[in-house]
Amino acid sequence: MREIILQQWQLISATSWPLLLTLAGFWIAWWTYNRSGRASLLHPLMIATPLIYFTMHSIDLDFATYYAGNGILNWLLGPATVALAIPLSQQLRQLPAMFKPLTVALLLGGLFATLSALLLVKLFGLSDVVLLSLAAKSVTSPIALSIVEKIGGLTSLLAVATMITGLAGIVMAKTIFRLTQLEDERWQGLILGVTAHAIGTAKAFESSPSCGAFATLGMGINGILTAIMLPASMGLFIS
Amino acid sequence: MMKLAAGLLILVLLQWLGQWGVQSLELNIPGQLLGMILLLIVLSFNKSLLPWLEATSGQLIRFIALLFVPITTGAFFLGPEIFEQLPQILIVLIISTLLAQWFMALLINRLRGRDK
Repeated sequence: MREIILQQWQLISATSWPLLLTLAGFWIAWWTYNRSGRASLLHPLMIATPLIYFTMHSIDLDFATYYAGNGILNWLLGPATVALAIPLSQQLRQLPAMFKPLTVALLLGGLFATLSALLLVKLFGLSDVVLLSLAAKSVTSPIALSIVEKIGGLTSLLAVATMITGLAGIVMAKTIFRLTQLEDERWQGLILGVTAHAIGTAKAFESSPSCGAFATLGMGINGILTAIMLPASMGLFIS
Repeated sequence: MMKLAAGLLILVLLQWLGQWGVQSLELNIPGQLLGMILLLIVLSFNKSLLPWLEATSGQLIRFIALLFVPITTGAFFLGPEIFEQLPQILIVLIISTLLAQWFMALLINRLRGRDK
């Protein structure tokens, strides 16, 4: 226990001026995003990260220093992961009568999202480190991050992959729902939550509260299931 | 402000408990996730903790993108070996998301058809 606490204190106490760079970049991105009427492709991360990268380039700041200097933000990812239990518990309480189809759809859907990505990575002959980094791309970022840390992928690649997956998911979902004639907003929400995690869930809440509630459920349970199953089964995919 | 701090403290304690549990039981899951599951169990038995947690969790989740700024910026520094694979990675992500959504929609249509 002592080690765990000391390790985290090191993370927090390394925080220094590069944090200001992140805050400034994020503030500009958040403002632009809201100004644009929350256009998907102007997601705060899409604006903030290149801004920060070019600033770092011009002031000759290396990534290790920048990353360590943002220690407190990296540390907060832990409590943020635990915090996901709160919206999830609120939704679980009103878990509807559709328990059985919901469980089947969640289990198979989550499995399919991960498996299809891993098989495609193999098909394209991409490297093992890419495979390990993309394995958790459908899972909500804080959980995905802890999974990828555990199985030894590149966390920065995962972060981008998760963002792209979420954005692709909300762009394509509408067409898929139309083509498959899936009109029930609750089920649409579940699909958005499982395949496009937090970005999909935010979109689902724009449709209706019940769409958002199902997305929250899908995202949360898919995250838990993937985190339990993936680390144990990665050996099957690594030669 | 007190509630924000108290909420954060509860979350951090659960995270530590999760990490400690994973370490000492040699579980193959992330420690933070065990913390989340523990909190889920606590909340399903006892709702009195909820008012202390709602403000903190709400703010953390609302601004979660901020927490991901440093690690996502790291993507610009991944190096040529990864950059070369980027086009394929992009295709993998888009196709697998498309397939998963399509698969789930068909599956749900089937499951619901049978229930009717």
